[in-house]
Amino acid sequence: MKMEDMPLSGPDNTRLEALVHDIYSELVDDACLGLSFEVHRAVKQGYFFLDETDQESMKEFEIVDQPGVDIFGQVYNQWKNKECECPNCKRLIAASRFAPHLEKCLGMGRNSSRIANRRLATNNTMSKSESDQEDNDDLNDNDWSYGNQTSPRRSKSLKHKNGTYFFRCRHYNYSSGINYETLGPDEVRSVLTTGCVMPRCPGRSQRCPQHTDEQRRAARVFLLGRPPPLPDVDAVMESDTFDIPDGQSLMSRLQWEDSPDVSPTDSASSKATCCAQNEAKTLRSRSSAQKMVFIENKLNVKHCAPPRKLYSSRTRYALFRNTAERRGEAREAARGGQFEDVMFGHF
Amino acid sequence: MSKDSQMRAAINQKLIEMGERERLKELLRAKLVECGWKDQLKAHCKDVIREKGLEHVTVEDLVTEVTPKGRALVPDSVKKELLQRIRAFLA
Repeated sequence: MKMEDMPLSGPDNTRLEALVHDIYSELVDDACLGLSFEVHRAVKQGYFFLDETDQESMKEFEIVDQPGVDIFGQVYNQWKNKECECPNCKRLIAASRFAPHLEKCLGMGRNSSRIANRRLATNNTMSKSESDQEDNDDLNDNDWSYGNQTSPRRSKSLKHKNGTYFFRCRHYNYSSGINYETLGPDEVRSVLTTGCVMPRCPGRSQRCPQHTDEQRRAARVFLLGRPPPLPDVDAVMESDTFDIPDGQSLMSRLQWEDSPDVSPTDSASSKATCCAQNEAKTLRSRSSAQKMVFIENKLNVKHCAPPRKLYSSRTRYALFRNTAERRGEAREAARGGQFEDVMFGHF
Repeated sequence: MSKDSQMRAAINQKLIEMGERERLKELLRAKLVECGWKDQLKAHCKDVIREKGLEHVTVEDLVTEVTPKGRALVPDSVKKELLQRIRAFLA
């Protein structure tokens, strides 16, 4: 892009400067010529004086060049301090916020319906502290977590699962608790030793306040296939005492489809053995959500809500009844007043 | 001096060949519009035309009116920048 180097001796330098100036002059002349041709053409075509009207209009719309005022002569922030009364809610709103407020107020904006629905939803959950909280709980409950276990499948949509809202992901989801089915043997081991065993219980400790020891024991029996030794059930660290029976038998219990004893197409099986088979058959076609509900029903455990929410009276009573039956009256008496605890949500 | 004129011719040719002359021209035009030089000159033209009469204006009239005034009205900053660019190109 550069010319050959010019030696910068005196005369050459002046010649060079002269040259530069000459080039510059040529460029300016070109510009002037261009302008004159343009003007001449405008004159001859008759559009040169088009932007001039009568003197009055010219005076009226003259460009204003004063400080604090725009070129039309209007004051810039005249409306900043003014307040307008909303015709809908009769409140005084600042002028610059008036349009967005009106949008929300009248419900005509792009997001106004979304916000209103969300507000209604939160109001409903707060006001109705009764039953049917599972759905909302799962939706709103993001508090606790097991740690850093995240999975790319975490955000799978609920709508895939028959429209039920129990599962938000197929892997660990902290707000809906443990999903045993998708865990490998090592993960199951860690789950059983670090947190509450009960399906979908968000409790962190091994003795979470929402479930009794009997329930946990039943869950372990069901999942592992053998009861852990009794005195250790209530011990804090069971990781030392039990190990997962070989992963296959465990997973076979968890995965209905893979059960070796069930022949999937044997519809002519006798009634005696068909219970398990029917279960397997029906469950195979169901979603994991329904499978978890089935597990819970087997364990006679209701889905547990996070501790901070109250139970409906029906749920509480059912919980109480379950625990009372298992334990026998003696222990119930020993616990004393547990019904009240269940009723009022204190554990 | 012929050497000089030869050199000039060579430089001009180089300018054109490399497209630098066009670039410089466009740059100058843009700067002049930006600084209001064009509008000033146009207003001056209006006076001239009103003087001479709309029907009788010729190109030569306009050119003789516009060029000296135009040369004088170019702001210093624009002039300096353009000279610098030309020098940079030649160096």
